Amino acid sequence: MKNMLAKIIGIAALLAAVAVLPHFLKFYQQDFLIFLIINILVVVSYRLVTLTGEWSLIHAVMMGVGAYTSAMISKFYDISFWVSMPLAGVGAGLIAALLCFPLFRMTQFYFLIGSFAAGEAIRLCWIHFIRPFGGTGGISAIPSPELGSIDFLDPIPYHYLVMVVVTICLFILYRVEKSRIGLTLHAVHWKAPLAESVGVNTWRYRSLAFIIGSFFVGIAGALKVHYLGIVSPNQFGIGFMVFILIWVIVGGYKTFYGAILGAIVLSILDESLRELEELRPALYGAILIAAILYLPNGLESIPSKMREKFATPKEA
Amino acid sequence: MALLEVNNVTKRFGGLTALDQVSFSVNENEIHGLIGPNGAGKSTMFKNIAGFYSPTTGDILFSGQSITGKSPNRVASLGVVRTFQETTLFQELSVFQNVLVGCHLNARANVFSALLGLANSKNQSAERKTHKVLEFMGLSNRADQLGAELPLGSQRALAIAIALASEPRLLLMDEPFAGMNPEETQHMMDMTRKVRESGVTIVLVEHDMKAVMGLCENITVLNFGTLLAQGTPEEIRHNTKVIEAYLGGGSH
Amino acid sequence: MGVVNFAHGELVMVGAYTVWFLHAQHNTPFLITVVLAIILVMMIGLLMERFLFRPNRDDPLGGLICSIGVLFILQVIATLVGGEGPSKQVPPPFAGTLILFDTLRIPYQRLFGIIVSIAALLVLWFFLTKTKLGWSLRAVAQDREAAALQGININRTSMIAIGVGAALAGLAGALMAPITNINPHMGHNVIITAFIVTIVGGVGSLSGAVMAAILYALFHTFVTAYFSGTIATISGLLIMVLVLIVKPTGIMGKAVSE
Repeated sequence: MKNMLAKIIGIAALLAAVAVLPHFLKFYQQDFLIFLIINILVVVSYRLVTLTGEWSLIHAVMMGVGAYTSAMISKFYDISFWVSMPLAGVGAGLIAALLCFPLFRMTQFYFLIGSFAAGEAIRLCWIHFIRPFGGTGGISAIPSPELGSIDFLDPIPYHYLVMVVVTICLFILYRVEKSRIGLTLHAVHWKAPLAESVGVNTWRYRSLAFIIGSFFVGIAGALKVHYLGIVSPNQFGIGFMVFILIWVIVGGYKTFYGAILGAIVLSILDESLRELEELRPALYGAILIAAILYLPNGLESIPSKMREKFATPKEA
Repeated sequence: MALLEVNNVTKRFGGLTALDQVSFSVNENEIHGLIGPNGAGKSTMFKNIAGFYSPTTGDILFSGQSITGKSPNRVASLGVVRTFQETTLFQELSVFQNVLVGCHLNARANVFSALLGLANSKNQSAERKTHKVLEFMGLSNRADQLGAELPLGSQRALAIAIALASEPRLLLMDEPFAGMNPEETQHMMDMTRKVRESGVTIVLVEHDMKAVMGLCENITVLNFGTLLAQGTPEEIRHNTKVIEAYLGGGSH
Repeated sequence: MGVVNFAHGELVMVGAYTVWFLHAQHNTPFLITVVLAIILVMMIGLLMERFLFRPNRDDPLGGLICSIGVLFILQVIATLVGGEGPSKQVPPPFAGTLILFDTLRIPYQRLFGIIVSIAALLVLWFFLTKTKLGWSLRAVAQDREAAALQGININRTSMIAIGVGAALAGLAGALMAPITNINPHMGHNVIITAFIVTIVGGVGSLSGAVMAAILYALFHTFVTAYFSGTIATISGLLIMVLVLIVKPTGIMGKAVSE
């Protein structure tokens, strides 16, 4: 119980700190913080998808599906952000549900390729069908959320908006992982045949993780584009998907918070490399390779590695 | 009517015939042995019954219903569960969690209550069941240990516990005595009888003759994928064909 | 070899850039630059195998991520070497067009590319089916452990596989250089096409890949002519997903044993 209380206090303190932070930052840093919080949702929702052991390459595109959904219905049909945002999640979830049928017939390598192909096909549709998606230019002048007299074009109000939404989503995702559903997902990952032998329909559980993960990243997509004001296909291409992969792998995917750590550390690293604009992808590539080769269990394994190093040798 | 009927099952892999027209039946509440030298096709037969393979030809009936070619989770929901060779467990989960997964069939986890973090009567009944099964198998004091940390005997007990949590009518045990010393073997035999007494029918694939002869009422012998002999332990013990197969083939 | 090299398109790009740099910018004779391109890309491939894929032998995901890292690095290097800006062009060293039957026009440069490609494929086919080395490669691809038990050196075989693959990528890039736009992102289309062709043709089947490549090229060109390049690629991707569902081993692939 003490442990639990300590954790809750810790998280509350963290949230308070993050809530207060923007007041001390410059404008472009406030922007960065907003996108960082959104990306945390992206990365944690991806972790849910990969809990069953299948690594998809379609997650970035799913974010785009949510983004386009929210952008289009709020701009073309005058629907309020507060409705379009959850609908963005629903939209992404529905597309995910449809894709389950073809995609989850494949496993491992084939699933990777298949998810990549499906994602790329969707993205190319955004590029090709200028009506209604706007082609490579995408859709601009996406309306900001409205709530009384609050101006959500300003970073600070939007920061609170994002914090609230993301915190709720993270809480739900955490609960799912700790529940029996989460346990079964882990079981499917570690030993699928054993799970099947006691009646677990692995296809159904993989699909469930995929749909729920896509729902939440769809919401993240809506959050992103209603701040930026513009949605375009290039925001959700393989480039961004690779970032997601990097965050999860470098951060570590064995724990819930590993991916969050990866996203935060690497995003900050990336920001500080801003000066070296041209070299950025190469440095990212180098970091990626270094992480795989030297820290295969991710950043999240650092605390336990430290514990091992400093443990006093009791056994003779 | 027998609980399990295997009718003329043949299983081919490309050019290799692993099972050739094998038939046998298992009566309710029996402990039925399935033995034979290495490569006889015993595990293959299990996989066909439990749904991991489908027979090339032939039919498998459980309680009068055909389960031929059904998927493993479907077969499990009908009441047929197998354990695996070489101790298959969820190594990274605790003993308690391992068995909790097994409760899946009878206390379906609910997505929405998971999403909203609500307490759920199904969850509670699953946890109660898990405690009961752990007690039955003598694993209660190890509930929080990781699957990977258990000694051999407990690991095998856990594998059976996971299967039992799904309330099977027919349990297919795949070489549970492998690698055990006489003391562990005796303990496992007692455990197996206990499981049978709780109402479960058991088919046992095993090389350990002491266990087989001591536990089974009925034995089916396979050799090179075909049925070699069928009968009580006494009959099998004195069957010349069986003796030849084992001595000639050089099994354990 | 059980390795997915996401940077394969970039290897092709490097081949093209080599030709551009040495031939178009520094006037080295074309054929020599082709050979140099092959060698350079092959070396990159060998380095990747030795330092990235080999440590990740048991973790294909790790190898794949590393190849994505290389993808980024190569793209940046290309940008540094060539600078940003419009795509580069390499003036074709074989000028002129062959005119057959009054209507069929084939530029000599493309003819050269076709002939060399066919020759390279024939050499590859010969290598894989008629030489001991080629057989050992196929053995490792089928069942690594069994091959190792037979005494085949897995590390060496993997190096050869990557080396050959990279060399061919470099050749492809060099051949493409005079016919196409050269830019740091040209690898993107290459890798998509490569995936489609490999999956549809069947992983592990050379003849399948060749057939699929020819069919896909025809398909893509026709659809592009009637609709657009983007629709053509979308359709190609959808067909690939279809194949993955219906027969994941592709048209010519062997069925996977249970």
